[in-house]
Amino acid sequence: MFAQPSPLASRLATLSNQAKTRTVEEINEKIRKGDAQVLTAEEMKRLVESSGVEVAFKEIDVVTTGTFGAMCSSGAIVNLGHSDPPIKIDHAWINDVEVCHPGAAVDLFIGATNMSEKQPYEYGGGHIISELVAGEEVELRATAYGTDCYPRTSIKTQITKDDLNQFYLLNFRNCYQRYNCAVNSSDEIIYTYMSKLLPRIRNATFSGAGELNPLMNDPDYETMGMGTRIFLGGGKGYIIGEGTQHSPKNLNGTLMVKGDAKKMDPEFLQGAAFTKYGTSMYLGLGVPIPILNLGIAKKVAIRDSEIFTNVVDYSVPRRDRPNFGKVSYKELKSGSINVNDKKVRVSSLSSLKMAKKVCQTLKKWIDEGQFYLTAPVERLPTDTVFKPMRQTEEIPFVMSVMHPAITCTENEPIRAIAERIVTKSVNHILVVDDGGKLLGIVTSWDITRAMAEGKKALADIESRNVFTAKPDEPLEIASKRMAQHNISALPVIDIERKVLGIITSEDVSRLLGR
Amino acid sequence: MARILIRFNEEQVSEPIASQIIIEYKVPMAILSAHVNSKGGEILAEIPDSMQEQVVKAFRDRGVEVTVPKLIEVDSNKCFSCGTCIALCPVEAINFDEEGTVQFNKERCVGSTCSICVDACPARAIKSVKNGAKKS
Repeated sequence: MFAQPSPLASRLATLSNQAKTRTVEEINEKIRKGDAQVLTAEEMKRLVESSGVEVAFKEIDVVTTGTFGAMCSSGAIVNLGHSDPPIKIDHAWINDVEVCHPGAAVDLFIGATNMSEKQPYEYGGGHIISELVAGEEVELRATAYGTDCYPRTSIKTQITKDDLNQFYLLNFRNCYQRYNCAVNSSDEIIYTYMSKLLPRIRNATFSGAGELNPLMNDPDYETMGMGTRIFLGGGKGYIIGEGTQHSPKNLNGTLMVKGDAKKMDPEFLQGAAFTKYGTSMYLGLGVPIPILNLGIAKKVAIRDSEIFTNVVDYSVPRRDRPNFGKVSYKELKSGSINVNDKKVRVSSLSSLKMAKKVCQTLKKWIDEGQFYLTAPVERLPTDTVFKPMRQTEEIPFVMSVMHPAITCTENEPIRAIAERIVTKSVNHILVVDDGGKLLGIVTSWDITRAMAEGKKALADIESRNVFTAKPDEPLEIASKRMAQHNISALPVIDIERKVLGIITSEDVSRLLGR
Repeated sequence: MARILIRFNEEQVSEPIASQIIIEYKVPMAILSAHVNSKGGEILAEIPDSMQEQVVKAFRDRGVEVTVPKLIEVDSNKCFSCGTCIALCPVEAINFDEEGTVQFNKERCVGSTCSICVDACPARAIKSVKNGAKKS
């Protein structure tokens, strides 16, 4: 039209060439017209690898991210409506799971980890929420102290989600950006929230979707924050802020979310049980990331090989557990990792299959014009820290009561050991090798039995399967171990099984006053 | 190969019954798992198909209980394919298929004598089957 572009048109053209940005409004307009270009996180990464990030940015408007895993810090707020006569609930149970009454009269919070009084560890709040979402009927029992305005003191009734005024998922910590990989270096199986960990690092577990995780794809939280509409439990939900324990500087961001549970789908919200730990809830959560600029396109290209986490020893019952170095999510998803130069098989606790399904479902919703994006009202903080608890009372550790152990070697005659028990006035003698490493334990009772049965050799009476303690273990845990195995002392050893000392049940009762 | 689950009671466990049968019938027997103490126990063994009938009969003639074991039952409606069970399995009988769905290989699974995966399943989708009765 113009032989010579006007200065204004030329400036506009330059701007639009450089218009390396798009807005949420523009994307929503495209969704409305049915021509928004949406890819799942998995597809986007492939596109960036094959065609480069510039092309991917130019072509793609939205990338859907998602995760599906155990999210213990989840729960649902329900409002029951008033009974006649009215009750101001004091204690309440749903299907024998005690639930919390955080408000005035008939509001309840069903925490995912609240356990059934009849089937503890097997059935809990997560199962109730899932059953309610599925439309099943649950039994409510409640008691109250009775007031002039709320005279009723007990109630028992059956309810479904349709009977509830509000039934909202209200999760104060979801969607951990990444999580530890767990192992157990002790000699016994331990059951944790990271599931069953076999002794001597014979397996490992991890959690999280790695490169599919919403926060990992937007690590500076440029596109998400309060008000971001998300996929939650198979329905729509919203981010309402950062989750508790949000720790962005360590790439351990979390989300606080809410969503209408009446419209959710039980496939994406399932009760779970962790043996000897308790109950939880598996939840699907997905966030659409608008590709607003080239920088965001680059960030969503992140791969599992670039996301690392620590291999943490869960056998150490302390806040700061030792770790065996870093592994990538690529290694974790391969099924085996190296720990101390040994190949260890590793399992995922979260479901990658379901995480992909979250991404695909969210993509479908946007493609079909059922889901529009929102710009956050306020972004997630990027500078908060997760502090440890302030403790104003000290607790005792094994090292605070342990004392030197009386030892013997394997070739000593029983008589010499008996004499030592008398002169040192102790009940336990530890059998050690030349390097001071623990081999066994002999008690005064073993010696008495040897005399009665005429046994001469130490090997015939010593116990070789010895329960032990570590110096930095809380005394209470060591004390429980003694009670559990009905023994009266624990040798204290270091990581190489070298004897550091001994604690006895008398030491414990003196200190803990039992 | 056929799998048999041999169950000894307190009296039988001190007798060398399995050895006698192996020698007498010249049966190659692979022990897949064994949980035996002075109170009795179970051995899961693999023997050639062709010898299954006579070997089972030989054990039963000596009063020993033999069953062809049922293995693990998986409720695919409950399983959400997290895969927690996979690295626990000592015989690598569990894995992901191409779609990321957890699959149990019943040929490899040593069944109820192992059961290591059962209490690790967060969905409680795995059941160990013993004597035809379910043990969760």
